Amino acid sequence: MKTLKHIKIYVAVLLLVGLFAGCGSDFLDQPPQDTILDVNFYKTPEQVLAGSAPLYNVVWFAYNDKASHGIGDGRGGVLTSGSYQLENVEFKTTSVTSENLSAWRAFYNIVGQSNTLITNLRKYAGEEVPDNIVEHAIAEARFMRGMAYMFLVQNWGEVPIITDNTALLQDTTITRNTVPSIWEFITRDIRYGTTHLPETPILAGRLTKYSAEGMLAKVYLTRAGVGKSGARDNVFLDSARILAKDVIENSGASLMTDYEELFKTKNNNNSETLFALQWVYNGADWGSQNSVQAFLAFGSSITGFADGWGGDIGASLYMLNKYDGLIDNGNTPDARRKATFMFPGDHYTYIHQQVIDPNTGNPVTQELRVPLGGSGYNNRAWVKKYVVGRPEDNEGKVSQQHTENGTYMLRLAEVYLIYAEAILGDAGSTSDGEALKYYNRVRIRANTSTKNIITWQDIFDERHLEFAMEGQLWYDFVRLHYYNPQKAYEILSTQDRGFYRITPDKIPDPTKWTIAVDPDDQTRTFPVDDGNFRIPLPSTEVLRAPNLSKTPVPYNFN
Amino acid sequence: MKEVYRSFFKRASVFLLLLTSVAAYGQHIVTGTIKDPAGNAMPGVNVLIKGTGNGTTTTIDGNYTLQANDEDVLVISFIGYKSQEIRVGNQTRIDAELREDVSTLQEVVVVGYGEMKRTDLSGAQTSVGSEQIAKTINTTIEQAIQGRAAGVYVTQNTGQPGGGISVNIRGVNTITGSNEPLYVVDGVQIQPSTLSYGATSSSNVLAGINPSDIANIEILQGPSATAIYGSRGTNGVILISTKRGKVGEMKVNYGFTYSLQDKPKNLPVMDLSQFADMTNQIRKITGGTPPPEFANPSLLGPGTNWQDALFKTAPLFKHQLSLSGGSEKTTFYLSGEHFDQEGVAIGSSFARSSIRLNVDNQTRKWLKIGTTLSVNQTKERITATQENTILNALQIAPNVPVKNPDGSWGGADLTNGNLVQFTPLNPVAIANIVQNKQKKFQVLGGVNFDVTLLKGLVFRTSLNGNLGFTRTDYFTPTYRLGNKTNDVASLTSGSSDNTYWNWNQLLQYNVRIGKHDIGAMASHESQESHWENVSGSKRGFVTNSVPDLNVGNTQGATTSGGQSPWAMESYFGRLNYSYNDKYIIQGSLRADGSVNFGPDNKWGYFPAVSAAWRITQEPFMESVAFINELKLRVETGVTGNQGSTSYYGPLASVSTPWGTGFPLSRYPNAALQWEETHTNNIGFNLGLFQNRIQLEGDFYIKKTNNLLMTSPLPDYMGVSAEGAIAPPQVNVGSLENRGWGFTLNTVNIDKNGFSWRSNFNVSGFKTEMTELYSDNAFIDHTSWFIGDTGSGNNWTQRSAVGQAPWLFRGYLYDGIFQSVDEINNSAIPVKVNGDRQDVAPGGVWVGDIKYKDLNGDNKIDEKDITNIGNPWPKATFGFTNTFTYMGFDLNILLTASYGNDIYNFLRFSNTNPNNINLGRNLMAETFNYARVEGSGSEAHLSNPGTDIPRIVTPDVNGNGLRFTDKFVEDGSYLRIKNITLGYSIPKTLIGKQNVVQGVRLAVGVQNLYTFTKYKGYDPEVGAYVGRDSQSTNQSIGVDYGRYPMTPAYTFSLAVDF
Repeated sequence: MKTLKHIKIYVAVLLLVGLFAGCGSDFLDQPPQDTILDVNFYKTPEQVLAGSAPLYNVVWFAYNDKASHGIGDGRGGVLTSGSYQLENVEFKTTSVTSENLSAWRAFYNIVGQSNTLITNLRKYAGEEVPDNIVEHAIAEARFMRGMAYMFLVQNWGEVPIITDNTALLQDTTITRNTVPSIWEFITRDIRYGTTHLPETPILAGRLTKYSAEGMLAKVYLTRAGVGKSGARDNVFLDSARILAKDVIENSGASLMTDYEELFKTKNNNNSETLFALQWVYNGADWGSQNSVQAFLAFGSSITGFADGWGGDIGASLYMLNKYDGLIDNGNTPDARRKATFMFPGDHYTYIHQQVIDPNTGNPVTQELRVPLGGSGYNNRAWVKKYVVGRPEDNEGKVSQQHTENGTYMLRLAEVYLIYAEAILGDAGSTSDGEALKYYNRVRIRANTSTKNIITWQDIFDERHLEFAMEGQLWYDFVRLHYYNPQKAYEILSTQDRGFYRITPDKIPDPTKWTIAVDPDDQTRTFPVDDGNFRIPLPSTEVLRAPNLSKTPVPYNFN
Repeated sequence: MKEVYRSFFKRASVFLLLLTSVAAYGQHIVTGTIKDPAGNAMPGVNVLIKGTGNGTTTTIDGNYTLQANDEDVLVISFIGYKSQEIRVGNQTRIDAELREDVSTLQEVVVVGYGEMKRTDLSGAQTSVGSEQIAKTINTTIEQAIQGRAAGVYVTQNTGQPGGGISVNIRGVNTITGSNEPLYVVDGVQIQPSTLSYGATSSSNVLAGINPSDIANIEILQGPSATAIYGSRGTNGVILISTKRGKVGEMKVNYGFTYSLQDKPKNLPVMDLSQFADMTNQIRKITGGTPPPEFANPSLLGPGTNWQDALFKTAPLFKHQLSLSGGSEKTTFYLSGEHFDQEGVAIGSSFARSSIRLNVDNQTRKWLKIGTTLSVNQTKERITATQENTILNALQIAPNVPVKNPDGSWGGADLTNGNLVQFTPLNPVAIANIVQNKQKKFQVLGGVNFDVTLLKGLVFRTSLNGNLGFTRTDYFTPTYRLGNKTNDVASLTSGSSDNTYWNWNQLLQYNVRIGKHDIGAMASHESQESHWENVSGSKRGFVTNSVPDLNVGNTQGATTSGGQSPWAMESYFGRLNYSYNDKYIIQGSLRADGSVNFGPDNKWGYFPAVSAAWRITQEPFMESVAFINELKLRVETGVTGNQGSTSYYGPLASVSTPWGTGFPLSRYPNAALQWEETHTNNIGFNLGLFQNRIQLEGDFYIKKTNNLLMTSPLPDYMGVSAEGAIAPPQVNVGSLENRGWGFTLNTVNIDKNGFSWRSNFNVSGFKTEMTELYSDNAFIDHTSWFIGDTGSGNNWTQRSAVGQAPWLFRGYLYDGIFQSVDEINNSAIPVKVNGDRQDVAPGGVWVGDIKYKDLNGDNKIDEKDITNIGNPWPKATFGFTNTFTYMGFDLNILLTASYGNDIYNFLRFSNTNPNNINLGRNLMAETFNYARVEGSGSEAHLSNPGTDIPRIVTPDVNGNGLRFTDKFVEDGSYLRIKNITLGYSIPKTLIGKQNVVQGVRLAVGVQNLYTFTKYKGYDPEVGAYVGRDSQSTNQSIGVDYGRYPMTPAYTFSLAVDF
């Protein structure tokens, strides 16, 4: 009995020792096993390029989704609507308008991810990664950041420049920077790409030296008007001209022959593309896809899914007036019309639609013949550009709110028009051979007549015709507004954004359309002045960061 | 079945008659005196003749007199004392001495890592026993706690069968982390995380546990009780012990419950003629053409009643069989259950099958081995909640048929406007055809060894585990619902498993030396869990009838995976000392090391001390005979919260044409550490009149520092929307909870076999944010899906310094503009440049809402947004009354909440007359929208009394966009939660057979009636769960089409064999 007791004490001591022995040291060190950590990444060239790849899609998503056409085309007067995007269409964008918020967020996500990538590459990039690859990724990040600031400064004016997000995590003293210093910042960021990016893309769709040069030409063209009144800065115009010319002559890019072909999924990254967002239709993650078809397509019959919510939007009458002969003659030779907007009766062989067979009551699929828009209430010239159709029209690469159609950010046609405008400068008109040559190339491709002398208005109109529904035209007004705000207000305030009725002469295969003002719609124009030209800062942002209300200061480049 | 019951009752009445006639024969008078062990006379003692209701109670001198028969047996009983049974025989004087029932007074309760005498408790802790749990219909165990304990605020977030529940113990303890308590089920620690995002967010992690298997629930509230759980104890700890066998003859029990759940009462929405009329009017106002089919609204019938179509009465079944018993050496409890509940909304159901086996074995004199094992499976359909069918049923237009004449599902078409994006999908069709199912399989159990090393010294080691397998399937078939079609079916199936183990080694030493009672405990514990998941998704199914990934098209298929480890190691100990059962002191300390923190912050330390003074044990209290127990308690301690996010900087996976890309997904923060809560608590226990009145009270102050939260960075840090870098987890700010709770247990009547007992508990708390990174800082939860997604006016709740967390944000409603003059004299919204909006029909006009200009700048803008409501109640109540007489018992449970606000989003959205343009139906009151007559300065309303604004697009004034206090409703309620009438058929009536030992029948009604001013379906709104809710945006107290709780009528039968 006594021994038993001793054994028990012995056991008790052993247990006590065991009790406090504890676990191994790595028991409490278990990093996530399903994600890569920043500290372990960027060790090979592939990893570095995989770090910069998302800068071509997901970070842009919140802008591309609805704000690009709401702000870029709605505010620009190209798009009209009975309900969707009404605040933008009617120039009543407020501090709580959703496109305002989502655009702001997207641009600062681009800034944040670009900054973080630059910091992480400097900190963690492996020694075996060649310098030019690290520089390539940094140049991509700086290009994207420059692009983001270009959108930011044009929409909101003074905004804070951020270059190191981690340094600001605990800092709330940030102030906004002045417009000229933001443009200088943009110039430096984009210019970095002209010397650190290759002449040919490292992977299809990646940025090149010429993407950067073309974009820099655009930066200079716009910057030429910043802080000016009436006339622009010739030095900047010259820079724009020289850069545009280099792209035209040396990039190897060429216009696609058929304008309509530009907007097919299969022609992503074609010969005309200088910079396009790169979407994937079947990513497991929300935001890597192009979702605009969901909002632009007039109905689900042409998307194949429960999206297609664009039945209430279409070209504005202001826009339709730009097409040669359309209003007067009922039709236009301009090939861009059918590629940009659908008219009732239009026949598209490469997009299909599902209709109910009146005989059997069953759904059948046929080539798209654009239906009449029902009653006068919903009569619109629906949007065609970036509407790519059903899965069967795109090798299966479509699902609800997902397409793989690249979003053009810069294509050669725009460099042609930048070149022409840089040559024209502030002159009343020009007959310069170079300017005419490239201006007319754009016209010829679109099947419209060439010109022997061109004015600022000609180029401005051509940009409408060429880039409608590419989220561009609002920024053309911003460019004008920098040096001639009154003219910008005047054009915007007189644009006819009201409803109209569009009637084909026959069905099927109409040859003419009657486009008549809707007599029930009395409010056709919306006044624009310095009170509503700029987009106000999102209200949540001002509330959260009161420092944004401080007087803007020039950015300190040191 | 019916026949059986009828014959039972027949027999019962015959027996009763017989008994009374027998009783009348051979009676004589019996007298006596009843005394306590100290020799004092005991007044109020029940003296009953066994098997009858005849009897009396003793007088103030402890005397009684009654008539009895020779064969009778007297039952002498008093609460807190052991009953005695004495055969009368020929005695005429029967005295008795009642002894204290040690099992009540010396009742042992479960505490964290041990057991303790209830009288020795020095901290705040509440028990809920199995009898209480059995009284209400509980689909899941947390439901059983509601209304039972002070300090515990339970809200059912959804009435969906098996749906999630919020349990808040003592206020709001954290801002962005989980507020749910730690559940310890037979040693297995389960902490419900913050809400998970996505298709299964409305379900419940504890749903697999059969409430009938619960023996006891201990709710640890005070710091000395919870600090032993250290870094996981801040939100309170709920200890759940399951039933175990007792030595003796094997007991077999079969239970059956059938319940019929009623539909909710319909909310008043417009009928078809009103809808048509209003549609015509808006088309006229906005310059469109009225639909021809609405040409004559008065000829149209009432249209589809969507609420009738969606809701149905639904059954609930439960079969339960348990066997328990054992020998001196081995006892066991074995039970099996099948539970099947249909929801009242189509597309919801919950079923559970479970088996439990608990075995205890005294292997050697010094060794005891216990095992617990539960295997369960739950199956849920959650389509109704995840597809917002209730919201849609209220919004879909009445001209849409549920089914077309040809039998196909109906849907909105062009008549309902061509904004098909915003017209609701046919909710009945969706609830029927979309399959969102979740199946869980769980094995929960463990083994523990108790080694008695020396007298009083016990070594215990236990290994507990929890294995779970979950399978989810979410299939959207092809459909055509009016103009909305889905041509490509899609299926997402996911499978996940989680493993958890916990190994604990513990030494416990108890000794009593004279008047000194000493207990010491030291323990080491390690635990680890691992969760992993795979899921796949395919689109394009040639048939809707085989929803399996095998059948789908490989093009567009996606897959994803994930896993997450967690581990924690702890050392802790506790010392108890009590002197002469009078002075009680307890101290404990726990050290936790967690994987969630970096090398510098891995370990946290959590001490607590408490003391109690049992004043009634003092000699000077002996003269105060009516006070049986008076105990004062003080406690102080530190608990923690370790959150669920690690400090690393992970990269996200993004699909790109060049393969997967990797952007940063969250800012790292190596300095991340524990959230720490210091709590001070004082309390008392009071027992009066032989403990017929027991009152317990507690007051506490909890201060939480280093609040774990997602840093509330501005959007310019790139932290919002797709491709954002999530803000880092940081420790910022403090909050404070002050609260109180009282529990009153009384025996109101206990006389002549009739007893009436009550439990009343009331508690309240006030939470205040005391510090953030600056005084003006705040944290918003913005629900992007609640509110007008087209305008960016989304529902927001705010936590700011000096306020309770998550207050509602909005404008103050100041009526409807009646004249142009009034507009000109009021603040109105402004343009971007600060100029007033145009006072015109296309701008701000008569019939628009007038908002209060709070800052007096004559502008209505975001600076006029203020706090318009508080989701937290000032007090919550639970009131249980139990009546027993003979074999009958009646149980009534009332629950109540006082002083909380609800934002009735359904009413806000469905009284916006502009929404008729989206083809949506509206609340009936909307038909009285402001009708503007006259133009220019003559403009006025033809219905000036209305509070519904005019129809206008675009809505420059924001009538339908700006949230206002108009829809903040009082969420106070008093609910008759449960009434149950039971009858236990006496053994004598069951008669001469030895199969059935006892039978109990009960009928009841749950959620019988709710007294409330709230205008929605159900005021118990809770936190929002649904497809789009996420822990960073979750709303509280907002009715966004919550699945309501409805009355349920129940019959149950329990038979002991």
